[in-house]
Amino acid sequence: MGSTHFGRNQLISVDLFTDAYRVTGRVLVGTGGIHAELASPNSDFLELQDAYISRIHQPGEIISHYKVAAFRKDNINFIVLQDRREGIPVGTQHGRSIFTRGRSLSIFLTVPSFEIAGEIMHDGKIAPREILVQTIGRFLLVFSAKASASLYPDISYSGDLILIHKDRIGIFCLGS
Amino acid sequence: MARIYVIDDDEQLLRMVGLMLDRGGHTTTLLSDPIDGLEQVKQGKPDLLVLDVMMPDMSGHDIARQIRAFKGLEALPILILTARSQEVDRTTALRSGADDYLSKPVTSQELIERVDNLLHKRESRTKPEQGILIAMFGMRGGVGQTTLAVNLASALRRLSQEEVCLIDLSPAGGQAAMHLRLQARNTWADLPTANELDWTVFKEKLTIHPSGLRLLAAPAVPQSATEPSPELTETFLSLLQSKMTFTVVDMPRVFSPTFTAVLDSADIALHVLAADVVSVQTAVQVDRLLNKTGINFRQKSYVLNHVQPEAELPQSTVERGLNARVASKINFDPNQSRALAQGVPLTLTSAKSPLPTMMNRMAEVIWQRVANAAKK
Repeated sequence: MGSTHFGRNQLISVDLFTDAYRVTGRVLVGTGGIHAELASPNSDFLELQDAYISRIHQPGEIISHYKVAAFRKDNINFIVLQDRREGIPVGTQHGRSIFTRGRSLSIFLTVPSFEIAGEIMHDGKIAPREILVQTIGRFLLVFSAKASASLYPDISYSGDLILIHKDRIGIFCLGS
Repeated sequence: MARIYVIDDDEQLLRMVGLMLDRGGHTTTLLSDPIDGLEQVKQGKPDLLVLDVMMPDMSGHDIARQIRAFKGLEALPILILTARSQEVDRTTALRSGADDYLSKPVTSQELIERVDNLLHKRESRTKPEQGILIAMFGMRGGVGQTTLAVNLASALRRLSQEEVCLIDLSPAGGQAAMHLRLQARNTWADLPTANELDWTVFKEKLTIHPSGLRLLAAPAVPQSATEPSPELTETFLSLLQSKMTFTVVDMPRVFSPTFTAVLDSADIALHVLAADVVSVQTAVQVDRLLNKTGINFRQKSYVLNHVQPEAELPQSTVERGLNARVASKINFDPNQSRALAQGVPLTLTSAKSPLPTMMNRMAEVIWQRVANAAKK
């Protein structure tokens, strides 16, 4: 289930986490990557194709499969991608875009049931409020990230990019 | 050249994997329907199976479990190939009975290397004429004897993919089933007398773990009755040695005729102790008793298990007390309490902490010895 291209659109593989479930599937994204889909005001839902559902405490075991599944964006805690190029607009990954310019800061944050550590790129005043309020979209981009289950620390997910719903963040800590 | 079956619902990827394997000199059968695929594997009995995980109707894990439980396919090498690439997915794949795991996308070279490696391992597996009996014993409670027995048996099963049985001879509420999160319907208390016992009856009393490991459980409630008689024990150990490649016995902490009968039959006896004064003194007393009984050990070793973060005695002091060398030392493993709570032995996970590292090493040494002996 790798990425499949359809003209300028492509189906990308994602691991999506809600409060109680891990869902692996594919999302059709345009040149803006999944970040643009999540920020789109046209729909409150994100649609996954070939969705394989696991419970959060047994994340390796698949409990069911559906051809299509829709998720309320507000109920998504975070999404793990193996390749950052699938997350943000094409052409902005290497250049100095709003997503990748600035300095790299290590961060630690919590969402329900998970703690996430990684790096963010930020251009501006270094303050949690500034980062959480001023950055574009509902989801925060954390690069080279690792999400560990708070109650089962040996269960963790690594991704080149993890997109985290800002409203679901409980604790947000900034490093250097 | 091997006969390889590939099950993947994504027909494009299926063809690609087929092409890679064909180029590697193998004959492939490509199956896109998981349920039909499982039937074909059962009938065709290939040399190796490449299996996707995320498939509608039946997951790759379910297929792997069914294959492991199917007579004649217990040792079929299974390589899982999946888009789910997290560590937890690797652990789940191995626990379901797979031998190896690769995450997509995969290169041709990677796939061929892993496949050839699995085929090579399969060829080098040679069964000994008689199974190996390993006894874990010690009279001091709380030294982690059951933990080590469960993990050694699991490691031997995972490494060799041969038949492995764990026997819990504890009379005081069996805990091996708890370590493996198994509900045992039968225990050694349900065995008939030695005269009535044959393999058909005995194997019905064994509980099978998803990894393929078999368990003769102890009663969950502490027994008012005694442990199995020495005659019964000798009978089922003899059955196990003819049917199983490895039998690991978690010995009772009671010095009795059954205790000595097991040690007398054991190919390898592992005396487990902790690094504290009482444990060392108890071990010395047990050794004196064993010397008096005149048991002729084929191989006896001490295993020093650190069950506390800080050892009370250094290894050199323990060895002076025993007047013998410790063969294996296992450092304190903070993961063990969680493994017990989750009912998953650490040697069935990908954890690299002290306990699974040491037990896997021990299993490798034992398995290598068996393989070398069988080749001679």
